[in-house]
Amino acid sequence: MENKLMDYMKAKELLSHYNVKSVDSTYINNVDEAINFSNGNPIVLKVLTQKALHKTKSGLVELNLISDKEIKSAYDRLIKKSMQYKPYKILAQHMVDYKSDNIEIIIGGRKDLQFGPLVLIGLGGIYVETFRDFALRICPINKQEALGMIDELKSGSVIAKNKHEKEMIVNILMNVSKLMTEHNINELDLNPLILHDNTYSAVDLRVLI
Amino acid sequence: MDNKYKNFNYMMNPKSVAIIGASNNPDKVGHVILQNYIDAGYAGKLYPVNIKDEVSILNIKAYKSVVDIKNNIDLAVIAVPAEIVPNVVDECGKSKVKSIIIVSGGFAEIGAVELQDNVGAIAKKYNIPVLGPNCLGVMDPRTRVDTLFLPAFKIDKPKIGGVSFASQSGAVGSSVLDMISGEGFGLSKFISYGNAIDLDEVDILNYLGNDKDTKVIVFYIEGVKRGRAFMESAKRVSMKKPIVVAKGGRTNAGSKAAHSHTASLAGSYEAYKAVFKQSGIIQANSLGEILNFSKIFDTQPPLYGNKIAIITNGGGTGVMATDALYDNKLELPELSDSAINKLKKVMPPIVNVRLPLDMAGDADDKRFSAALDVMMNEDNIDAIMVIALFQTPGADSRVAATLIHYGTMMKKPLVVVSPGGSYTQAHKNMMESSGIPVYSSPEDAARALAVLHKYTEFKVNK
Repeated sequence: MENKLMDYMKAKELLSHYNVKSVDSTYINNVDEAINFSNGNPIVLKVLTQKALHKTKSGLVELNLISDKEIKSAYDRLIKKSMQYKPYKILAQHMVDYKSDNIEIIIGGRKDLQFGPLVLIGLGGIYVETFRDFALRICPINKQEALGMIDELKSGSVIAKNKHEKEMIVNILMNVSKLMTEHNINELDLNPLILHDNTYSAVDLRVLI
Repeated sequence: MDNKYKNFNYMMNPKSVAIIGASNNPDKVGHVILQNYIDAGYAGKLYPVNIKDEVSILNIKAYKSVVDIKNNIDLAVIAVPAEIVPNVVDECGKSKVKSIIIVSGGFAEIGAVELQDNVGAIAKKYNIPVLGPNCLGVMDPRTRVDTLFLPAFKIDKPKIGGVSFASQSGAVGSSVLDMISGEGFGLSKFISYGNAIDLDEVDILNYLGNDKDTKVIVFYIEGVKRGRAFMESAKRVSMKKPIVVAKGGRTNAGSKAAHSHTASLAGSYEAYKAVFKQSGIIQANSLGEILNFSKIFDTQPPLYGNKIAIITNGGGTGVMATDALYDNKLELPELSDSAINKLKKVMPPIVNVRLPLDMAGDADDKRFSAALDVMMNEDNIDAIMVIALFQTPGADSRVAATLIHYGTMMKKPLVVVSPGGSYTQAHKNMMESSGIPVYSSPEDAARALAVLHKYTEFKVNK
C-alpha cells in the first residue's frame, strides 16, 4: 500500500464533515499572519512536510507562543530547520490550555488487507507505543461495540471519567468508524486528542491515503 | 451457501469412494487411506485406482483410471504425485465425480502456485467441490469416513460426539485429534483443508454451523482467505453454537514499517483479535485450551453470571481456585443466611461455613451431596466449581458418582477440579464419560468458566 499524507487542512475538513472537531488551524506564509492568528492567545507552529512524518522528533514543532517576539523567533527557527524538508507548509494552531488533569488519547484508523477498515482508541500522546493500552474493532462499529472498546482499556476509567465523557468518546469512535468505512483511507491518527473541560480537541491529525 | 453445504455431504457421507493412488505397498499414502476405510468398517462402495493396472488392491477390485469405473462416485480421494493431479482431476470431471479431496502435497506450500491454480481451474470447469490440496481430508466417526493417511496404530481415533474440528494445518489437526481421543467428549466432524484451493474457512464454518451433530466448532487457522465473509459467517454461526479458534502466527505484528501510531499498534494479529471479539469467537491460546474449552462448551449449559461457588475437600486448592476465579474476572458469591443455616445443619462442626467451602479431607460422598443440595438452589450462585482431591481419605468412586449425579441433573454449570495421578485419572475418566468436565488445575477450570460466561454474554447482548 502506498501512503501519501493528505493535506492537513483537507484532513481537518474531512473530519469536521464527520463531526470530529480539531483545534483552529491555518496555514501561514509569514510572521505577520501568525501574529494576526494568535491575536494575543497562545499558539503552536508546526512544519508539515511529506519528508518528515514525525514532526516532534524532527524538531518541527514550536509550542506555547504568545508574544510577537516569541512567535517571530520560533518562526525563524522553523524556517531554518525546514530548509532540508522542502516543499513544506507552516501551520499555526491555537493552543489547548494546559491543565494537569488533561488526558491525551489516540483515536485512529487503519485499512487491513484482510478485514478492511479498523478503528482504534488508546491512551495517547508520545507514550502510545510504550504502554500499548488500546482497543481495536473492525468497522463499522455500533454504540455497544464503541462502549466495549472504552471498557476494554486499562485506562478506560481515567479516559472516560463520567457518563458525558463516555458518550462523547463513543460518538467520536462511531464517527471515525463511519469515515473509515466511507473513504479509502490507509491510516488515520488523531494523536493526541486532548480531553479537557468536558470537551475535546484533536491537536494533531494525520491521514494517509 | 446452500450449494456448498451440500458439497460437504458428499465428502462426509459418501455412498461410494474412489481412492486414487491406492496401492498394495504399505509405504504408500494411498494404501493407508484404503486400509483405514476397510478397518473402520465403511459400508459404502470402495474403488481403488492405480495407474499400474493392478487386479486388486487389498483384495478389492482395482481400476487403472477413475474413468473405468462405470458407477456413481460421490468422493474421489486423490493421493498421487502433484504433477499428475491436474490430469486425475480432469478424469474425475469426465467421470462426474461429485466431490474431491486432494491429499497430495507439492503445491502452493512449496511455491508451485501455477500447478495449484491449474488444478483449481480444472475442478471449477467441472464444478466439483475440492478440499485441499496438501491436507488430511475428513473424518466422521458417524459415517465411518476417514481419509487420513495416518496408520491406525499411530493415532487414537476419537469417539462419536459433538465437537467438530477444522484445521488448516494437518500436523496440528492430527495431534489434536489424537488428544481428543483421550478426552471424555467425542468428535462430530474433522476437516483438514490445507491450501484451500476451493472450500475454505467460510464454507467450513457455514457447513458446521448448519450441521445438527456439531455442538461446538473448533478451528486452527493461520490466516483466512476471505476476511469479511469469515467474520459475517462467524457472527451468524456464533448465535447458534460456540466457535473456538486457535490462531497460529500471533507474533508477526509490526513486521512492516508503519507510518502512523495506529498502524504500528494495530497489526494483522490485532485485527484478528478484533474480529474474534466482534463475532463472538472464543480464542484458545494453546492446544490445551482447545481441549479445555471444547469440553465445557460441549457439556455445560450457559453461564449467565460470574458468581462461582467453590466446594473443596482441600483448603489450599480452594485458596488457589479463589485466586484463579478473580484472575479471570469471576467472583465468589455471598452465601445467603438461609444457605448458611442449612449448611451448618449438614456440615460437621470442623467445617467453617463460608466460601470457598472447605469440607475438610475426610469429606465423603454424603458431605459433597449435602453441600451441592444447598448450593444448586441458591439464586446468587451462577455455577459451581467442585474440587475433588481423590488423594484424601474420604474421596472414592462414590464421590465421583455423586458429582456425576448432580452434574447431569443441575440446571447451572458444574465443573470439577481433580489434579492427580492414576487413581485420580480413573475417576476423571468416569466423570468425563458421563459429561462432567474435569480439569487438572483450578486455573484451567476458571479459564474455561470465564470463556463460557463470555460466550453466554455475547449471545445475550446480541
